[in-house]
Amino acid sequence: MSTETPVTPLTTRGRLIRLVVTVVAVGLLLAGTFWGEDDHFPFGPFKMYASAVDPDAPTIDTRLEATDAAGATVLLTERNTGIRRAEVEGQIDRFRAEPELLQVAADAYARRNPDAPPLAEVRIVIRWHEVRDFTPTGEWEEEVVATWRP
Amino acid sequence: MAAVTGRPRRFASAVTRWLTEPVPLGRLAAFRTLVYLFVIADVVVFTPWARAHADVPGELYRPLLIGRLLPLPTPTPTVVWSVFAALLVSAAVAATGRLPRLAGTAVALLYLEWMIIAFSYGKVDHDRFGLLVALAVLATVGRARHGDSTRSEAAGWALRATQLAVVATYFLAAFAKLRWGGLEWLTSATLTWAIIRRGTFLTEPLLQAPWLLIAAQFGIVAFELLSPLVFVLRQRWRYAAVGLFYSFHLVSFVTITISFLPHLVAMTSFLPLERVRPVVWARRLASRRERAGGGAAGHPVTVTGDPPVGGPGESPHRASPQ
Repeated sequence: MSTETPVTPLTTRGRLIRLVVTVVAVGLLLAGTFWGEDDHFPFGPFKMYASAVDPDAPTIDTRLEATDAAGATVLLTERNTGIRRAEVEGQIDRFRAEPELLQVAADAYARRNPDAPPLAEVRIVIRWHEVRDFTPTGEWEEEVVATWRP
Repeated sequence: MAAVTGRPRRFASAVTRWLTEPVPLGRLAAFRTLVYLFVIADVVVFTPWARAHADVPGELYRPLLIGRLLPLPTPTPTVVWSVFAALLVSAAVAATGRLPRLAGTAVALLYLEWMIIAFSYGKVDHDRFGLLVALAVLATVGRARHGDSTRSEAAGWALRATQLAVVATYFLAAFAKLRWGGLEWLTSATLTWAIIRRGTFLTEPLLQAPWLLIAAQFGIVAFELLSPLVFVLRQRWRYAAVGLFYSFHLVSFVTITISFLPHLVAMTSFLPLERVRPVVWARRLASRRERAGGGAAGHPVTVTGDPPVGGPGESPHRASPQ
């Protein structure tokens, strides 16, 4: 069947360009895999879940939360601020060094929730789940990494 | 060009033949429509947080290398919503198959910028290399009509490049695990950690069976390292392997709620999509209904538009030239 259907061939030049583009892209991707970082997107390494987690080390569970003017605790999520949990984790060293940067979360929250009471405090909290021999014990400790108040 | 002779030349031409192995233009047309419709769905439904970056003050924007080189503007509501609107319009045009090079190039560039907006706030996702490659290469194929069985080398390269990107996502992920986790990754608590962070009620019991999670880690690396075999399998086994790839993602979605949706769309580049003809089927169904209604009984009803494509059991046909 396939031998009967007509074929539209590429020109020699078209074929050569495609070969070169493929080889260059494969080369960039290999370089990204072995020496690159996420910064080299889209040719960075595919490092999803690539780190080896110690079976006896506590598991990190980060959250961005706030207390509003009415005294209620508000969990800040990608939905109500546009900031993803993984983004907080990705820039955690910056937040640790300059907690006043957390104001951006309050501003983003205010933009997305104009009718909500303003935030009186924003903080990054890490809940460390205790893990022993691969199994969570159910115990946890919380660490407040950064706090901001207007 | 300097003359390359002998074995290297034969090797290069064998590689090129494989890279540009012709496929029916109808398949490319179907893949193209699917990919561009997905771009619309992705931007509107699946990654709303990218759009939400419009409300995040610029201080949190840490542009990726590509964003610093180009240099792209810091996202503001105007920037984000302009890219959003332009992306929707160009993807809608491209999905129809019109202006394939112009609209295709626009979508590829705008979607890349959309991803830079998405990933420049501290987290890069790794679920869409295949889709980005698909968008880049789809723009290189000119017109392709739905149902056209003419085979094209340009279309073949576009699908092959996408397939390579999809398989590289698996294969190279194994080396990233070696680089970051080392061999200990295999017996580490990475899946335990993933379940604690993102698990569902279904996975809670798995935390009590760490040996199963370690076995799964060995299975994942074996699967990643063996994934390139999909290219040497014969047709039926190749489809079975692609089915296995899809089921891997089904399991990871059920267990740790990670979907890899853009990657799954790019992976349809392995499938004979030209057999999926929703418009033709709908027309056929409509005309059958009409006949059953009695009015035109006995008269053959011509289905206007593209000719049907040879599915299993149908006789081959030749598409009329455009």
